[in-house]
Amino acid sequence: MAARGPQTAQQRDRTDQRAEFLLGALASAVLVLIAFMIAFVFAKAWPSFAHNGLDWFGAGGNVDEQLTGIFNSPADPSDYVYTLHAWPLIYGTALITGAAVLLGTLVSLLSAMFIVEFAPGWIRAILQPVVRLLAAVPSVIYGLIGIIVLVPFFGNHVIGPARKESVQYVIQLDGSSILVGTLVLTVMITPIMIAITVDALRSVPRNWTEGAAALGVNRFRALRTVGLRAARPAIVAAAILATARALGEAIMLSMVTGSVAFAPNPLDGVTFFFEPTRTLAAQIVEGAEGLSVKPFGQTMYAFAALLLISSAFLSFGGWLARRSMRKYTLAPR
Amino acid sequence: MTWNRPLAVVAAVAASAALAVPAAATAKPTITMSGSTSVAPLAALLAKKYISVCKGCVSFKLLQGGSDVGISDVASGRVTIGNASRDPKPSDPGGLVFNKIAHDAVCIVTNKSNPLPGIDEAGVQAIFGGSVRSWSSVPGSSASGTIDTFTRSPASGTQDAFQKIFLGSTKVFSGSSQKASNGLVQQSVKADPNGIGYVSLSFSDGLHTVPYKGVACTERNAKSGQYGGQRNLYMVTRGPAKGAARAWIKWITKRSAAAAIVNTEWVSLQ
Repeated sequence: MAARGPQTAQQRDRTDQRAEFLLGALASAVLVLIAFMIAFVFAKAWPSFAHNGLDWFGAGGNVDEQLTGIFNSPADPSDYVYTLHAWPLIYGTALITGAAVLLGTLVSLLSAMFIVEFAPGWIRAILQPVVRLLAAVPSVIYGLIGIIVLVPFFGNHVIGPARKESVQYVIQLDGSSILVGTLVLTVMITPIMIAITVDALRSVPRNWTEGAAALGVNRFRALRTVGLRAARPAIVAAAILATARALGEAIMLSMVTGSVAFAPNPLDGVTFFFEPTRTLAAQIVEGAEGLSVKPFGQTMYAFAALLLISSAFLSFGGWLARRSMRKYTLAPR
Repeated sequence: MTWNRPLAVVAAVAASAALAVPAAATAKPTITMSGSTSVAPLAALLAKKYISVCKGCVSFKLLQGGSDVGISDVASGRVTIGNASRDPKPSDPGGLVFNKIAHDAVCIVTNKSNPLPGIDEAGVQAIFGGSVRSWSSVPGSSASGTIDTFTRSPASGTQDAFQKIFLGSTKVFSGSSQKASNGLVQQSVKADPNGIGYVSLSFSDGLHTVPYKGVACTERNAKSGQYGGQRNLYMVTRGPAKGAARAWIKWITKRSAAAAIVNTEWVSLQ
């Protein structure tokens, strides 16, 4: 642009106004887009929900056989098959996401505390960029490492033949399992949680923790009782973000969890951790080949709708949690 | 201003390129294909040869996505040709023509450490149906312990072919591990001494292919029709193929140069 002389106040006002319009229009466009997307997904998904009612969310039968039935529906729209009991997929999603977020929160809190308070300068200088780099690694790379290294390792060396035989007519333990899925997912979501928690701990005013230290507590205790408490809203935000990423993770989980629509049973003891499952997002990826079969596509949209609702509830829950923590100050974002 | 000149040059170049491209595009038809991941490697090899044979008379655009993606794409006119590795189904959109271009063999594969000498229809159904779960009860097996079965998701063309050719009305064992592609099944069986799965012939490298009903899963046996585990590969068009697409499909099915390429890993019709 050509160099200009100093602007008059009026010109500046006009520029501001233009920027306001432009940004406002963009923001509303995003809102409209989201509204359209939700409406579209629900409209597509409706037949699947309508046919099954509440049974859709229940257990019963074999999901893969039900999906095969839907896929092989006759050509006549009035004969479309929709029967589906999606419980194993819902349960598998909740199980893996929940476990990974719990584990990730624990690990990220401890590492963030280390980075902020205890790490020597040179370690911090290495750790921080590495954590940020890890947060940006595409999930398919984790999936490849999982399927080429971890799954065969667990299948051939960790899970013994006796354990495999004990459940062989129900499920096969080939190494792809909720354990590997949870581990890899934790590695995937932890870096972003660490990054957010570190920033939050840093923004806790120094004199607060120093005040605690002056009262005679050690550094760890001061950080735990004052720093972590003040940073709680940000920690919740980090957990929410991580949960959203975990819920949406498809490719990696499809590769390492065995992709069997099976609901692992905690009563199986240790075997439980080696049992496979399949998450909703993984199911959508795997079903993508059959989208042209109308009832099958609608069923996939039903899975997508459920994921959309979950993430909506997730943000709402996060908002509530942060609101109730407002008294711990450090204005929530 | 000093930086305006290069900008003007770039704009001029862009404008002339924009004018030139449509002119070139009208002179040279483009055949777009999408669909079966089993057909895609074959289509890519054939397209490369076809371009050199006909001296660049057409250009190709090849996408994947699975047989049903190809069929729905061609039905809606998004592509010229939809690749499919399954036979026509009653639920397919009307007005489509399935042009058969080759056969493909589906091989039963095991880990190299467990060279199963042979298997018959009942054996395949028992193993993949889940009624036999231990290698010790499979005759000729050198593995011991639980059988790990690797299958494909219900929507895949290979799964469809396997179900029709080998399983019939037997249902796949519900505990078997489902993989999203031929390559993932190959990788899983390669890494698991107790594994068994099924893949297209071209994905059997590094694995033991189990003879089916006494016939080895090789191109030669598939071509002669002796091998039982075969399926058809199609290029689907909306109505009979026209123009460049017609010449291309005709070249694949009639010319020996094309047959030579098909026969590297698939089985030609000729």
